[in-house]
Amino acid sequence: MSSGPFLTEPIVAWRLWHVRRHDDVHRLESFTWHHVSWPAGARFEAECSTHGVAAPVEGHECGIYAFKTRELAEDLLRRYTGVRQHYGHPNQELPPLRQGCPIAIGRVSLWGRVLAREHGFRAQYAYPYELFLIGGEDTLARELRRLYAVDVWPS
Amino acid sequence: MDIGAPDTEHEIEIAPLDEPVPAPAPAEEPAQEPVPA
Repeated sequence: MSSGPFLTEPIVAWRLWHVRRHDDVHRLESFTWHHVSWPAGARFEAECSTHGVAAPVEGHECGIYAFKTRELAEDLLRRYTGVRQHYGHPNQELPPLRQGCPIAIGRVSLWGRVLAREHGFRAQYAYPYELFLIGGEDTLARELRRLYAVDVWPS
Repeated sequence: MDIGAPDTEHEIEIAPLDEPVPAPAPAEEPAQEPVPA
């Protein structure tokens, strides 16, 4: 039983996804867990090799992660691509991506049991809310929009 | 993903009245040609 506040509106936070082709369809895929694709039209549920569907669990690192701000998600993208500093100043531009490897940055709805920290969340359930493609064009945006039924903006 | 120090963590329970999972967009029907009477 939760001892924290009880809410009826989902939290909307920020995260990154890879966009990869599975068979004939592009899907969102977890950014840090390879080949874990997010279902379309159904919630994505946290699962842990230790705690199963009880994830997220206090004192562990399981759950679906998201940041409180877009800037924190962009900072992860810069670290991922190795572009962080430019002549000693913070680099404000998002880095170029490898050809054919689009990434989505976007807002995500979180609900169920959610563990909040100072910069973000670990959640039980999630579904994309709005996506911005980096390295993806109109055709891919239309495909993801149709599949996930959310707004998708091409780069 | 660095979401902050574990000791800042607190639990929230969120039970939306409707799950925020949109229904699939309806299939686009082909535009019908007007048929002359």
